[in-house]
Amino acid sequence: MTTQMKAEPPLGRVIVITSGKGGVGKTTSAAAISAGLAKLGHKTVVIDFDVGLRNLDMTMGCERRVVFDFINVIQGDARLKQALIRDKRLETLSILPTSQTRDKDALTKEGVEAVLDELKREFDYIICDSPAGIERGAHLAMYFADEAVVVTNPEVSSVRDSDRVLGLLSSQTQRAETEGAEPVKAQVLLTRHDRARVDRGEMMTVEDVLEILAVPLLGIIPESQAVLRASNVGTPVVLDEPSAASRAYEDAVARLTGQEVEMRVTGERRPGLFHRLFGRSA
Amino acid sequence: MSSRHANERPTRARAVVKPFQIRGRFLTALALRLEGGPPDVAFYEALDEQLQQTPQFFSAAPVVLDFARAPGIATPEKIRDLAHELRERNLLVFGVQNAGPIDQSALQSMGLIPLGPGRDEPGPDDAARRKRGVEKLLPPDNKIVTAPVRSGQIVVAERGDLTVVGSVASGAEVVASGNIHIYGTLRGRAVAGVHGNVNARIFCRKLDAELVAIAGLYKTSDTLDPAARDRCAQIFLEKEKLCMEAIA
Repeated sequence: MTTQMKAEPPLGRVIVITSGKGGVGKTTSAAAISAGLAKLGHKTVVIDFDVGLRNLDMTMGCERRVVFDFINVIQGDARLKQALIRDKRLETLSILPTSQTRDKDALTKEGVEAVLDELKREFDYIICDSPAGIERGAHLAMYFADEAVVVTNPEVSSVRDSDRVLGLLSSQTQRAETEGAEPVKAQVLLTRHDRARVDRGEMMTVEDVLEILAVPLLGIIPESQAVLRASNVGTPVVLDEPSAASRAYEDAVARLTGQEVEMRVTGERRPGLFHRLFGRSA
Repeated sequence: MSSRHANERPTRARAVVKPFQIRGRFLTALALRLEGGPPDVAFYEALDEQLQQTPQFFSAAPVVLDFARAPGIATPEKIRDLAHELRERNLLVFGVQNAGPIDQSALQSMGLIPLGPGRDEPGPDDAARRKRGVEKLLPPDNKIVTAPVRSGQIVVAERGDLTVVGSVASGAEVVASGNIHIYGTLRGRAVAGVHGNVNARIFCRKLDAELVAIAGLYKTSDTLDPAARDRCAQIFLEKEKLCMEAIA
Protein backbone atom coordinates (compact mmCIF):
# COMPACT_ATOMS: atom_id res chain seq x y z
CA MET A 1 0.00 0.00 0.00
CA THR A 2 1.49 3.31 -1.02
CA THR A 3 1.07 6.36 1.14
CA GLN A 4 2.21 9.91 0.56
CA MET A 5 3.75 11.44 3.66
CA LYS A 6 3.07 15.04 4.46
CA ALA A 7 5.38 17.55 6.14
CA GLU A 8 2.91 20.18 7.43
CA PRO A 9 1.99 20.43 11.13
CA PRO A 10 -0.77 18.04 12.13
CA LEU A 11 -4.35 19.18 11.50
CA GLY A 12 -5.61 17.80 14.82
CA ARG A 13 -9.20 17.48 13.70
CA VAL A 14 -11.46 15.42 15.98
CA ILE A 15 -14.25 13.56 14.17
CA VAL A 16 -16.81 11.49 16.04
CA ILE A 17 -18.54 8.58 14.35
CA THR A 18 -21.88 8.31 16.09
CA SER A 19 -25.49 7.21 15.52
CA GLY A 20 -27.51 6.69 18.68
CA LYS A 21 -28.84 3.37 17.46
CA GLY A 22 -26.67 0.27 17.62
CA GLY A 23 -25.81 -2.04 14.76
CA VAL A 24 -26.02 0.57 12.04
CA GLY A 25 -22.33 0.35 11.15
CA LYS A 26 -20.51 2.84 13.37
CA THR A 27 -17.44 0.72 14.01
CA THR A 28 -17.27 -0.52 10.41
CA SER A 29 -17.50 3.09 9.24
CA ALA A 30 -14.96 4.31 11.80
CA ALA A 31 -12.54 1.63 10.59
CA ALA A 32 -13.18 2.37 6.91
CA ILE A 33 -13.00 6.15 7.29
CA SER A 34 -9.82 6.12 9.37
CA ALA A 35 -8.16 3.68 6.98
CA GLY A 36 -9.35 5.78 4.03
CA LEU A 37 -7.89 8.96 5.54
CA ALA A 38 -4.63 7.18 6.32
CA LYS A 39 -4.48 5.86 2.76
CA LEU A 40 -4.63 9.46 1.51
CA GLY A 41 -1.53 10.15 3.60
CA HIS A 42 -3.16 11.82 6.59
CA LYS A 43 -1.80 10.78 9.96
CA THR A 44 -4.87 9.23 11.50
CA VAL A 45 -5.73 7.62 14.83
CA VAL A 46 -8.98 5.87 15.63
CA ILE A 47 -10.15 5.62 19.26
CA ASP A 48 -12.62 3.06 20.58
CA PHE A 49 -15.01 4.70 23.07
CA ASP A 50 -17.13 1.59 23.48
CA VAL A 51 -15.60 0.67 26.84
CA GLY A 52 -16.51 -2.83 27.90
CA LEU A 53 -17.40 -4.19 24.47
CA ARG A 54 -14.23 -3.51 22.46
CA ASN A 55 -15.01 -4.22 18.83
CA LEU A 56 -12.86 -1.76 16.94
CA ASP A 57 -9.60 -3.68 17.39
CA MET A 58 -11.22 -6.78 15.87
CA THR A 59 -12.56 -4.84 12.90
CA MET A 60 -9.08 -3.39 12.46
CA GLY A 61 -7.51 -6.84 12.89
CA CYS A 62 -5.23 -5.94 15.78
CA GLU A 63 -7.00 -7.59 18.71
CA ARG A 64 -4.00 -9.80 19.51
CA ARG A 65 -1.67 -6.82 19.77
CA VAL A 66 -3.57 -5.00 22.54
CA VAL A 67 -1.44 -4.61 25.65
CA PHE A 68 -2.43 -1.27 27.14
CA ASP A 69 -5.66 0.55 26.35
CA PHE A 70 -7.44 3.92 26.40
CA ILE A 71 -8.57 3.46 30.02
CA ASN A 72 -5.01 2.63 31.15
CA VAL A 73 -3.90 5.92 29.60
CA ILE A 74 -6.72 7.93 31.16
CA GLN A 75 -5.99 6.48 34.59
CA GLY A 76 -2.27 7.08 34.21
CA ASP A 77 -1.29 3.40 34.21
CA ALA A 78 0.32 3.64 30.78
CA ARG A 79 1.68 6.28 28.47
CA LEU A 80 -0.20 7.08 25.28
CA LYS A 81 2.70 5.82 23.14
CA GLN A 82 2.49 2.43 24.83
CA ALA A 83 -1.22 2.07 24.14
CA LEU A 84 -1.25 3.23 20.51
CA ILE A 85 -1.09 0.36 18.03
CA ARG A 86 0.50 1.14 14.68
CA ASP A 87 -1.41 -0.50 11.82
CA LYS A 88 0.63 -3.08 9.92
CA ARG A 89 -0.82 -2.18 6.52
CA LEU A 90 -0.68 1.63 6.73
CA GLU A 91 2.08 3.41 8.62
CA THR A 92 -0.05 6.57 8.90
CA LEU A 93 -2.78 4.72 10.80
CA SER A 94 -2.89 4.08 14.55
CA ILE A 95 -5.48 2.48 16.79
CA LEU A 96 -6.19 3.30 20.42
CA PRO A 97 -8.16 0.29 21.68
CA THR A 98 -10.39 0.31 24.71
CA SER A 99 -10.70 -1.91 27.74
CA GLN A 100 -12.95 -4.93 27.76
CA THR A 101 -12.93 -5.35 31.52
CA ARG A 102 -14.00 -1.86 32.56
CA ASP A 103 -17.21 0.06 31.92
CA LYS A 104 -17.96 3.52 30.63
CA ASP A 105 -17.72 5.11 34.07
CA ALA A 106 -13.96 4.71 33.75
CA LEU A 107 -14.02 7.52 31.17
CA THR A 108 -13.61 11.01 32.55
CA LYS A 109 -14.03 14.28 30.71
CA GLU A 110 -10.61 15.53 31.85
CA GLY A 111 -8.95 12.24 30.92
CA VAL A 112 -10.50 12.19 27.45
CA GLU A 113 -9.55 15.82 26.87
CA ALA A 114 -5.93 15.20 27.92
CA VAL A 115 -5.61 12.20 25.58
CA LEU A 116 -7.20 14.09 22.67
CA ASP A 117 -4.92 17.10 23.25
CA GLU A 118 -1.87 14.85 23.13
CA LEU A 119 -3.11 13.13 19.97
CA LYS A 120 -3.82 16.49 18.29
CA ARG A 121 -0.12 17.30 18.46
CA GLU A 122 0.71 14.29 16.34
CA PHE A 123 -2.26 13.36 14.16
CA ASP A 124 -4.21 15.06 11.38
CA TYR A 125 -7.43 13.21 12.08
CA ILE A 126 -8.61 11.75 15.36
CA ILE A 127 -11.57 9.47 14.74
CA CYS A 128 -13.70 8.72 17.80
CA ASP A 129 -15.75 5.54 17.45
CA SER A 130 -18.76 6.19 19.67
CA PRO A 131 -20.74 3.48 21.44
CA ALA A 132 -24.45 3.19 20.77
CA GLY A 133 -26.85 5.09 22.97
CA ILE A 134 -26.63 8.61 24.33
CA GLU A 135 -25.11 7.86 27.73
CA ARG A 136 -21.70 8.64 29.15
CA GLY A 137 -19.58 6.83 26.53
CA ALA A 138 -21.40 8.39 23.60
CA HIS A 139 -21.50 11.78 25.28
CA LEU A 140 -17.75 11.85 25.90
CA ALA A 141 -17.02 10.54 22.39
CA MET A 142 -18.84 13.52 20.87
CA TYR A 143 -18.05 16.15 23.51
CA PHE A 144 -14.72 17.37 22.08
CA ALA A 145 -15.55 16.76 18.41
CA ASP A 146 -14.97 19.30 15.66
CA GLU A 147 -16.97 17.25 13.19
CA ALA A 148 -19.47 14.45 13.39
CA VAL A 149 -20.36 11.66 11.02
CA VAL A 150 -23.83 10.45 11.93
CA VAL A 151 -24.21 6.90 10.66
CA THR A 152 -27.80 6.18 9.68
CA ASN A 153 -29.66 3.27 8.10
CA PRO A 154 -32.56 4.17 5.83
CA GLU A 155 -35.23 3.08 8.29
CA VAL A 156 -37.36 5.08 10.71
CA SER A 157 -35.94 4.13 14.11
CA SER A 158 -32.37 4.71 12.98
CA VAL A 159 -33.31 8.07 11.47
CA ARG A 160 -35.09 9.13 14.63
CA ASP A 161 -32.11 8.19 16.80
CA SER A 162 -29.79 10.06 14.44
CA ASP A 163 -32.03 13.08 14.77
CA ARG A 164 -31.75 12.83 18.55
CA VAL A 165 -27.97 12.61 18.28
CA LEU A 166 -27.87 15.66 15.98
CA GLY A 167 -29.78 17.52 18.67
CA LEU A 168 -27.20 16.50 21.26
CA LEU A 169 -24.35 17.52 18.96
CA SER A 170 -25.81 21.00 18.75
CA SER A 171 -26.37 21.32 22.50
CA GLN A 172 -24.16 18.98 24.57
CA THR A 173 -20.71 19.43 23.08
CA GLN A 174 -17.81 21.67 23.99
CA ARG A 175 -18.37 23.70 20.83
CA ALA A 176 -22.04 24.14 21.68
CA GLU A 177 -21.18 25.25 25.20
CA THR A 178 -18.45 27.68 24.11
CA GLU A 179 -19.75 31.12 23.30
CA GLY A 180 -18.98 32.11 19.70
CA ALA A 181 -17.50 28.75 18.71
CA GLU A 182 -18.48 27.28 15.37
CA PRO A 183 -20.97 24.47 15.87
CA VAL A 184 -19.92 20.84 15.34
CA LYS A 185 -20.01 20.19 11.60
CA ALA A 186 -22.37 17.24 11.29
CA GLN A 187 -22.88 15.12 8.20
CA VAL A 188 -24.93 12.00 7.67
CA LEU A 189 -23.46 8.79 6.31
CA LEU A 190 -26.18 6.53 5.00
CA THR A 191 -25.17 2.89 5.39
CA ARG A 192 -26.73 -0.43 4.41
CA HIS A 193 -28.53 1.30 1.57
CA ASP A 194 -30.25 -1.26 -0.61
CA ARG A 195 -31.46 0.26 -3.82
CA ALA A 196 -33.72 -2.67 -4.68
CA ARG A 197 -35.48 -2.45 -1.33
CA VAL A 198 -35.84 1.31 -1.66
CA ASP A 199 -37.41 0.78 -5.07
CA ARG A 200 -39.81 -1.73 -3.57
CA GLY A 201 -40.75 0.82 -0.92
CA GLU A 202 -39.30 -1.26 1.93
CA MET A 203 -36.67 1.33 2.81
CA MET A 204 -36.71 5.08 3.16
CA THR A 205 -35.30 6.99 0.22
CA VAL A 206 -32.20 9.15 0.55
CA GLU A 207 -34.40 12.21 0.05
CA ASP A 208 -36.73 11.17 2.89
CA VAL A 209 -33.82 10.72 5.27
CA LEU A 210 -32.20 14.03 4.37
CA GLU A 211 -35.53 15.83 4.60
CA ILE A 212 -35.90 14.68 8.21
CA LEU A 213 -32.31 15.11 9.33
CA ALA A 214 -31.65 18.38 7.48
CA VAL A 215 -27.85 18.02 7.44
CA PRO A 216 -25.47 17.48 4.49
CA LEU A 217 -24.96 13.97 3.13
CA LEU A 218 -21.43 12.61 3.44
CA GLY A 219 -22.02 9.44 1.48
CA ILE A 220 -24.23 6.48 0.68
CA ILE A 221 -22.76 3.08 1.49
CA PRO A 222 -24.57 0.24 -0.27
CA GLU A 223 -25.55 -2.91 1.60
CA SER A 224 -22.77 -5.25 0.63
CA GLN A 225 -21.34 -8.67 1.40
CA ALA A 226 -17.92 -7.04 1.12
CA VAL A 227 -18.54 -5.11 4.35
CA LEU A 228 -19.35 -8.24 6.33
CA ARG A 229 -16.44 -10.17 4.85
CA ALA A 230 -13.97 -7.37 5.55
CA SER A 231 -15.24 -7.07 9.11
CA ASN A 232 -14.84 -10.78 9.74
CA VAL A 233 -11.27 -10.95 8.49
CA GLY A 234 -10.31 -7.85 10.44
CA THR A 235 -9.64 -5.59 7.45
CA PRO A 236 -11.19 -2.15 7.04
CA VAL A 237 -13.34 -2.41 3.92
CA VAL A 238 -11.32 0.21 2.02
CA LEU A 239 -8.19 -1.94 2.41
CA ASP A 240 -9.95 -5.07 1.18
CA GLU A 241 -10.43 -5.89 -2.48
CA PRO A 242 -12.39 -3.22 -4.40
CA SER A 243 -16.15 -3.31 -4.01
CA ALA A 244 -19.05 -0.90 -4.34
CA ALA A 245 -18.91 -0.35 -0.58
CA SER A 246 -15.18 0.39 -0.53
CA ARG A 247 -15.58 2.88 -3.39
CA ALA A 248 -18.45 4.55 -1.55
CA TYR A 249 -16.33 4.84 1.60
CA GLU A 250 -13.43 6.27 -0.40
CA ASP A 251 -15.77 8.90 -1.85
CA ALA A 252 -17.04 9.74 1.61
CA VAL A 253 -13.49 10.07 2.93
CA ALA A 254 -12.59 12.39 0.06
CA ARG A 255 -15.60 14.56 0.90
CA LEU A 256 -14.56 14.57 4.55
CA THR A 257 -11.23 16.11 3.54
CA GLY A 258 -13.03 18.84 1.66
CA GLN A 259 -12.99 17.45 -1.89
CA GLU A 260 -16.07 17.65 -4.04
CA VAL A 261 -17.04 14.21 -5.25
CA GLU A 262 -20.22 13.46 -7.12
CA MET A 263 -22.72 11.36 -5.14
CA ARG A 264 -23.09 7.88 -6.60
CA VAL A 265 -25.76 5.42 -5.63
CA THR A 266 -24.47 1.98 -6.39
CA GLY A 267 -25.53 -1.51 -5.49
CA GLU A 268 -23.98 -4.95 -5.52
CA ARG A 269 -26.99 -6.22 -7.37
CA ARG A 270 -27.06 -5.73 -11.11
CA PRO A 271 -30.06 -3.64 -12.03
CA GLY A 272 -32.98 -5.73 -13.30
CA LEU A 273 -34.29 -5.67 -16.82
CA PHE A 274 -36.98 -3.17 -15.91
CA HIS A 275 -34.45 -0.73 -14.51
CA ARG A 276 -32.12 -1.14 -17.45
CA LEU A 277 -34.93 -0.56 -19.93
CA PHE A 278 -36.14 2.58 -18.24
CA GLY A 279 -32.74 3.75 -17.03
CA ARG A 280 -33.99 4.71 -13.62
CA SER A 281 -31.56 6.41 -11.32
CA ALA A 282 -31.97 7.40 -7.70
CA MET B 1 -44.07 -15.89 56.68
CA SER B 2 -44.07 -13.25 59.41
CA SER B 3 -42.30 -10.81 57.17
CA ARG B 4 -44.97 -11.31 54.56
CA HIS B 5 -47.60 -10.42 57.12
CA ALA B 6 -45.71 -7.33 58.07
CA ASN B 7 -45.63 -6.34 54.44
CA GLU B 8 -49.31 -6.91 53.91
CA ARG B 9 -50.65 -5.15 56.95
CA PRO B 10 -50.06 -1.52 55.98
CA THR B 11 -51.54 -2.18 52.57
CA ARG B 12 -54.72 -3.44 54.17
CA ALA B 13 -54.83 -0.57 56.64
CA ARG B 14 -54.57 1.90 53.80
CA ALA B 15 -57.58 0.39 52.10
CA VAL B 16 -59.89 1.42 54.97
CA VAL B 17 -62.06 4.37 54.00
CA LYS B 18 -61.50 7.41 56.22
CA PRO B 19 -64.50 9.46 57.38
CA PHE B 20 -62.86 12.58 55.95
CA GLN B 21 -60.20 13.74 53.55
CA ILE B 22 -57.78 16.60 53.88
CA ARG B 23 -57.59 18.55 50.65
CA GLY B 24 -55.75 21.72 49.75
CA ARG B 25 -57.96 24.62 48.76
CA PHE B 26 -57.04 27.95 47.24
CA LEU B 27 -59.44 30.77 47.19
CA THR B 28 -59.47 34.16 45.66
CA ALA B 29 -60.48 37.04 47.87
CA LEU B 30 -60.81 40.77 47.48
CA ALA B 31 -58.52 42.85 49.62
CA LEU B 32 -59.86 46.15 50.85
CA ARG B 33 -56.76 48.24 51.35
CA LEU B 34 -57.37 51.10 53.72
CA GLU B 35 -55.50 54.33 53.26
CA GLY B 36 -54.84 57.14 55.69
CA GLY B 37 -56.84 57.76 58.86
CA PRO B 38 -59.79 55.97 60.45
CA PRO B 39 -62.83 55.40 58.18
CA ASP B 40 -65.18 58.37 58.33
CA VAL B 41 -68.43 59.33 56.62
CA ALA B 42 -66.63 60.24 53.41
CA PHE B 43 -65.03 56.78 53.38
CA TYR B 44 -68.37 54.99 53.65
CA GLU B 45 -69.94 57.27 51.02
CA ALA B 46 -67.16 56.48 48.59
CA LEU B 47 -67.53 52.79 49.40
CA ASP B 48 -71.28 52.84 48.82
CA GLU B 49 -70.75 54.56 45.50
CA GLN B 50 -68.26 51.88 44.47
CA LEU B 51 -70.66 49.12 45.53
CA GLN B 52 -73.43 50.65 43.50
CA GLN B 53 -71.31 50.99 40.39
CA THR B 54 -70.04 47.39 40.41
CA PRO B 55 -72.42 45.32 42.49
CA GLN B 56 -71.50 42.01 40.78
CA PHE B 57 -67.89 42.50 41.57
CA PHE B 58 -68.53 42.33 45.31
CA SER B 59 -71.39 39.86 45.46
CA ALA B 60 -70.43 36.67 47.26
CA ALA B 61 -66.77 37.62 47.23
CA PRO B 62 -64.78 37.01 50.40
CA VAL B 63 -63.08 40.18 51.59
CA VAL B 64 -59.85 40.70 53.50
CA LEU B 65 -59.05 43.95 55.27
CA ASP B 66 -55.56 45.15 54.43
CA PHE B 67 -53.94 47.56 56.90
CA ALA B 68 -50.62 47.86 55.11
CA ARG B 69 -51.11 51.58 54.42
CA ALA B 70 -53.09 52.40 57.54
CA PRO B 71 -51.29 50.85 60.50
CA GLY B 72 -52.77 53.46 62.86
CA ILE B 73 -56.29 52.13 62.66
CA ALA B 74 -55.48 48.47 63.19
CA THR B 75 -56.89 48.35 66.73
CA PRO B 76 -59.53 45.83 67.81
CA GLU B 77 -62.19 48.54 68.33
CA LYS B 78 -61.71 50.17 64.93
CA ILE B 79 -61.57 46.82 63.18
CA ARG B 80 -64.79 45.78 64.95
CA ASP B 81 -66.57 48.95 63.74
CA LEU B 82 -65.23 48.57 60.22
CA ALA B 83 -66.18 44.88 59.97
CA HIS B 84 -69.64 45.68 61.26
CA GLU B 85 -70.17 48.47 58.72
CA LEU B 86 -68.95 46.30 55.86
CA ARG B 87 -71.07 43.34 56.86
CA GLU B 88 -74.04 45.70 56.95
CA ARG B 89 -73.27 46.24 53.27
CA ASN B 90 -73.34 42.48 52.62
CA LEU B 91 -69.59 42.24 52.21
CA LEU B 92 -68.22 38.88 53.37
CA VAL B 93 -65.37 40.08 55.57
CA PHE B 94 -63.42 37.13 56.90
CA GLY B 95 -59.83 38.16 57.53
CA VAL B 96 -57.28 40.86 58.15
CA GLN B 97 -53.77 41.22 56.83
CA ASN B 98 -50.86 43.50 57.63
CA ALA B 99 -52.54 44.43 60.88
CA GLY B 100 -49.31 44.22 62.85
CA PRO B 101 -49.29 42.77 66.38
CA ILE B 102 -52.93 42.43 67.36
CA ASP B 103 -54.83 40.39 69.93
CA GLN B 104 -55.77 37.09 68.28
CA SER B 105 -58.70 36.37 70.59
CA ALA B 106 -60.21 39.81 69.88
CA LEU B 107 -60.05 39.06 66.16
CA GLN B 108 -61.57 35.64 66.73
CA SER B 109 -64.47 37.14 68.63
CA MET B 110 -65.17 39.29 65.56
CA GLY B 111 -65.11 36.22 63.34
CA LEU B 112 -61.92 37.34 61.61
CA ILE B 113 -58.72 35.45 60.97
CA PRO B 114 -55.25 36.96 60.53
CA LEU B 115 -53.79 36.11 57.10
CA GLY B 116 -50.26 35.70 55.88
CA PRO B 117 -47.01 35.68 57.82
CA GLY B 118 -45.78 38.66 59.79
CA ARG B 119 -45.15 41.35 57.22
CA ASP B 120 -42.98 43.59 59.40
CA GLU B 121 -40.08 42.53 57.21
CA PRO B 122 -40.32 41.23 53.66
CA GLY B 123 -40.18 37.43 53.60
CA PRO B 124 -37.37 35.63 51.85
CA ASP B 125 -39.64 34.57 48.96
CA ASP B 126 -41.02 38.05 48.57
CA ALA B 127 -38.66 38.99 45.77
CA ALA B 128 -39.53 35.83 43.85
CA ARG B 129 -43.23 36.48 44.27
CA ARG B 130 -42.85 40.06 43.12
CA LYS B 131 -40.86 38.87 40.10
CA ARG B 132 -43.54 36.34 39.22
CA GLY B 133 -46.13 39.07 39.48
CA VAL B 134 -44.06 41.27 37.21
CA GLU B 135 -43.65 38.44 34.73
CA LYS B 136 -47.38 38.16 34.34
CA LEU B 137 -47.54 41.83 33.53
CA LEU B 138 -44.67 41.70 31.04
CA PRO B 139 -45.46 41.95 27.36
CA PRO B 140 -45.50 38.65 25.44
CA ASP B 141 -42.11 37.19 24.77
CA ASN B 142 -42.35 35.49 21.38
CA LYS B 143 -39.71 32.98 20.50
CA ILE B 144 -38.15 32.18 17.14
CA VAL B 145 -36.14 29.02 16.50
CA THR B 146 -34.21 28.98 13.23
CA ALA B 147 -32.90 25.40 13.42
CA PRO B 148 -34.83 22.15 13.14
CA VAL B 149 -36.23 20.95 16.47
CA ARG B 150 -34.78 17.48 16.82
CA SER B 151 -36.02 14.32 18.43
CA GLY B 152 -35.82 14.56 22.21
CA GLN B 153 -35.70 18.36 22.26
CA ILE B 154 -38.34 20.51 23.91
CA VAL B 155 -38.78 24.16 22.98
CA VAL B 156 -41.05 26.25 25.18
CA ALA B 157 -42.35 29.79 24.63
CA GLU B 158 -43.61 30.54 28.12
CA ARG B 159 -45.27 33.84 27.22
CA GLY B 160 -46.34 34.20 23.63
CA ASP B 161 -45.94 32.66 20.22
CA LEU B 162 -43.37 30.17 19.02
CA THR B 163 -42.09 30.21 15.45
CA VAL B 164 -39.93 27.39 14.12
CA VAL B 165 -38.12 27.94 10.84
CA GLY B 166 -37.54 24.27 10.10
CA SER B 167 -39.15 20.98 10.94
CA VAL B 168 -40.17 19.53 14.28
CA ALA B 169 -38.95 15.94 14.36
CA SER B 170 -40.78 12.91 15.58
CA GLY B 171 -40.06 12.69 19.30
CA ALA B 172 -39.61 16.46 19.66
CA GLU B 173 -41.99 18.80 21.45
CA VAL B 174 -42.85 22.45 20.90
CA VAL B 175 -44.90 24.26 23.53
CA ALA B 176 -46.25 27.80 23.62
CA SER B 177 -48.73 29.81 25.63
CA GLY B 178 -49.76 31.45 22.37
CA ASN B 179 -49.73 30.29 18.75
CA ILE B 180 -47.23 27.92 17.17
CA HIS B 181 -45.99 28.48 13.63
CA ILE B 182 -43.88 25.80 11.98
CA TYR B 183 -42.27 26.55 8.62
CA GLY B 184 -41.52 22.91 7.98
CA THR B 185 -43.04 19.55 8.72
CA LEU B 186 -44.59 18.94 12.12
CA ARG B 187 -43.77 15.33 12.94
CA GLY B 188 -43.51 15.64 16.72
CA ARG B 189 -45.80 17.19 19.30
CA ALA B 190 -47.14 20.72 19.29
CA VAL B 191 -48.94 22.11 22.32
CA ALA B 192 -50.37 25.63 21.97
CA GLY B 193 -52.26 27.72 24.50
CA VAL B 194 -50.74 25.83 27.43
CA HIS B 195 -52.02 28.35 29.96
CA GLY B 196 -55.53 27.84 28.71
CA ASN B 197 -55.67 30.26 25.78
CA VAL B 198 -58.49 28.78 23.70
CA ASN B 199 -57.80 31.21 20.85
CA ALA B 200 -54.29 29.85 20.28
CA ARG B 201 -53.67 28.10 16.97
CA ILE B 202 -51.08 25.81 15.45
CA PHE B 203 -49.91 26.40 11.89
CA CYS B 204 -47.55 24.15 9.96
CA ARG B 205 -46.30 23.73 6.42
CA LYS B 206 -46.97 19.99 6.58
CA LEU B 207 -49.00 18.19 9.21
CA ASP B 208 -47.69 14.77 10.23
CA ALA B 209 -47.86 15.24 13.99
CA GLU B 210 -47.68 12.69 16.78
CA LEU B 211 -49.86 14.95 18.86
CA VAL B 212 -51.41 18.40 18.60
CA ALA B 213 -53.08 20.15 21.52
CA ILE B 214 -54.67 23.51 22.21
CA ALA B 215 -55.62 24.56 25.75
CA GLY B 216 -55.57 20.96 26.91
CA LEU B 217 -57.65 19.44 24.10
CA TYR B 218 -55.58 17.12 21.98
CA LYS B 219 -55.54 14.75 19.06
CA THR B 220 -52.96 12.11 18.28
CA SER B 221 -51.65 10.94 14.92
CA ASP B 222 -54.40 8.29 14.79
CA THR B 223 -57.13 10.87 15.03
CA LEU B 224 -55.70 13.56 12.75
CA ASP B 225 -58.16 14.81 10.18
CA PRO B 226 -57.28 13.01 6.90
CA ALA B 227 -58.16 16.15 4.96
CA ALA B 228 -55.39 18.06 6.71
CA ARG B 229 -52.81 15.31 7.03
CA ASP B 230 -49.64 15.88 5.02
CA ARG B 231 -51.00 19.28 4.02
CA CYS B 232 -50.25 22.83 4.99
CA ALA B 233 -52.68 23.12 7.86
CA GLN B 234 -53.98 25.08 10.80
CA ILE B 235 -55.38 23.67 14.02
CA PHE B 236 -57.75 25.62 16.22
CA LEU B 237 -60.53 25.29 18.78
CA GLU B 238 -64.13 25.81 17.80
CA LYS B 239 -66.95 25.18 20.25
CA GLU B 240 -64.57 23.29 22.51
CA LYS B 241 -63.64 20.97 19.68
CA LEU B 242 -60.21 20.65 18.13
CA CYS B 243 -60.51 21.37 14.41
CA MET B 244 -57.93 21.14 11.67
CA GLU B 245 -58.08 22.30 8.10
CA ALA B 246 -55.80 22.52 5.10
CA ILE B 247 -55.00 26.13 4.29
CA ALA B 248 -52.97 25.87 1.07
